Amino acid sequence: MASTEHHDDHHGISHVASVKVLLGTGGSLLVLTLVTVLATKVDFGANINLGIAMAIAVLKASLVILFFMHLKYDKIFHTVVFLSAILAASLFVGFTLMDTGQYQHTNIWNPDSPPAAPVGPRPTSG
Amino acid sequence: MSESTSHEAHGEGGHGGHGHDAHGGGGGHDDHGHHPRFIQHHYDDAQHQFDSGKLGIWLFLAQEVLFFSALFVAYVLYRYHHPEIYSYAHKYLDVKYGAINTAVLIFSSLTAAWAVRAAQLNQKKLLVGCIAVTIGCAITFLGIKYIEYSHKIHEHILFGRYFDPCVSSGGVPLLTKSNECAGHKSTVQWKDGSATAGCYQDIDQDLQAPGLQADCKVQEVRIAHGKPARVSAGATHDCTKAPTVFARGDGGTYTFTGACDEVMIVGSRNTIQLDTAKKIAVKGQDNTVRANAADAFAGDASTKRTIPKGISSPQPALAAVTDADVDENKEVVREIGKTPIVERCPEPGLGHGAHGAHEGAKYPCWRVGYQPAVCSKKSNKDRYGVIVEYGDHQERGHDVRIDADCKASPKPPAVADVFADQTSKPKLGQRAMVPYQKLTTHEEHELEAAGPPPEHTNMFFTIYFAMTGLHGIHVLFGVFVFVWLLVRSIKGHFRPDYFGPVDFAALYWHIVDLIWIFLFPLLYLIH
Repeated sequence: MASTEHHDDHHGISHVASVKVLLGTGGSLLVLTLVTVLATKVDFGANINLGIAMAIAVLKASLVILFFMHLKYDKIFHTVVFLSAILAASLFVGFTLMDTGQYQHTNIWNPDSPPAAPVGPRPTSG
Repeated sequence: MSESTSHEAHGEGGHGGHGHDAHGGGGGHDDHGHHPRFIQHHYDDAQHQFDSGKLGIWLFLAQEVLFFSALFVAYVLYRYHHPEIYSYAHKYLDVKYGAINTAVLIFSSLTAAWAVRAAQLNQKKLLVGCIAVTIGCAITFLGIKYIEYSHKIHEHILFGRYFDPCVSSGGVPLLTKSNECAGHKSTVQWKDGSATAGCYQDIDQDLQAPGLQADCKVQEVRIAHGKPARVSAGATHDCTKAPTVFARGDGGTYTFTGACDEVMIVGSRNTIQLDTAKKIAVKGQDNTVRANAADAFAGDASTKRTIPKGISSPQPALAAVTDADVDENKEVVREIGKTPIVERCPEPGLGHGAHGAHEGAKYPCWRVGYQPAVCSKKSNKDRYGVIVEYGDHQERGHDVRIDADCKASPKPPAVADVFADQTSKPKLGQRAMVPYQKLTTHEEHELEAAGPPPEHTNMFFTIYFAMTGLHGIHVLFGVFVFVWLLVRSIKGHFRPDYFGPVDFAALYWHIVDLIWIFLFPLLYLIH
């Protein structure tokens, strides 16, 4: 039995979360939800507002992963598995955004308002 | 009791030596704490089975992250290129519903995590309770999603080309986010008879703006209680029994005795003979009306009328009634001009004759007025009507409503053209117009509010429905899984040495919660 763990309530098969940890995590998540809603009402500028919302979301996600999902007490390999998925997802987003500066403003075809004349050297300007 | 049993149980499971014995003895299933139940033969022991399952569920969760990441990529890419769509379109979402659902999911995550603890500690009642609460929360979440979705379906706030919401003449969407307005409720009464309810603050009111006004004739009408009595030609009708009468036909003679309330005749060459009436409405050619007194008369110029008392003007006191007016037995309470929406209290005599004072006591002040509303739906371009701010039904009574006869307004000017670079011809080497003064986010929003929805707003809802839809399917699947767990937990299958299914389902549920934790700010909380 893994009695070498610091937590008294560590079980033979898996870690048992204490009531204190469960309630603390749940309470923090609810408080952070309230904070993120209230933070939206204050104008810090669009980017900072987005940053705050994402920072709070990451914090909430970390709480869920570490305590509700027991990853803090779990095998390190599970953390590796999960983080590699996060890494892959970040790569997807990162690579997609890498060349955004290379495009003209997207103008999807709309029969009611056809896109403006294509950008480029005008044949008449010669 | 449970403590000692559980220790014994995990002792069995934890030390691999006994594991092989356990599944060797088939008859020992009910031997509590001696042979681990539900340990499959290809595992050494409970620990082995649990660890394998746990690794499996973590791999699955990693796959889930990748699965959703495709949609997050779509979101991020589109938001990067079209921030204006996001800052505009999120106004269609109600933060209240999103926040409630976030809290519901977080609470259900707590109960799911607690269920694992209860299973580990052999607390059967608590386990059943936690699973039941988790299911309840999941269903609550889906219920709120149903409210949100059905509202969007109703308002045509959908994905792709199905995004077709109603927009006012000023280009402001006629929102109906929720029925709870901080201010006053408004109604857009469309020409086809349907109505769109919304909040007063959400509707623009630039009545003076040129080109924004539909040409409307607006009337406040009261629908009479009960249907009018139908009378046939030739017969004599007693108005004291049924004061409101209606007839349709040509060339007939209608005779009424007693004091009538309303007499409505549709047809030509009729002769109407009566004593007194509050209102006489005739629709058709060459009718003859003979009455001793009438408060109001409506009919066209070809109607010969002899009404010595009540109506002194040679002109009809009211405009000629339409066929619909007569059919529905409506009484025009008053005409509403092109007035801005202002607060108004009922005046004595405003209502139906003697009922006026009574109405004043019954209904508090309301706001009344109208402004033209043009729905810029692509599918229904000539949908137009009026916005009427009139309190709610309780205030004005169910029998009073606004009737509008509108003609299409001229095409509203594209007030935000200067900000839309789609229409301005791009010049090589020159950026689109940039405001010389840096605007605050709030000012930018004000600007957006003044203009029509940005192009391709539908893309936001395509992404919104893809993300929340996929997430909703996960929640639905979670309900089925937890129902299965509920049944098994009631049967007492889960014990300290066998709680893998509870743990794995809880992990799945946490990832569903986790994804929502990101969806909520990304979709609902855009500043």
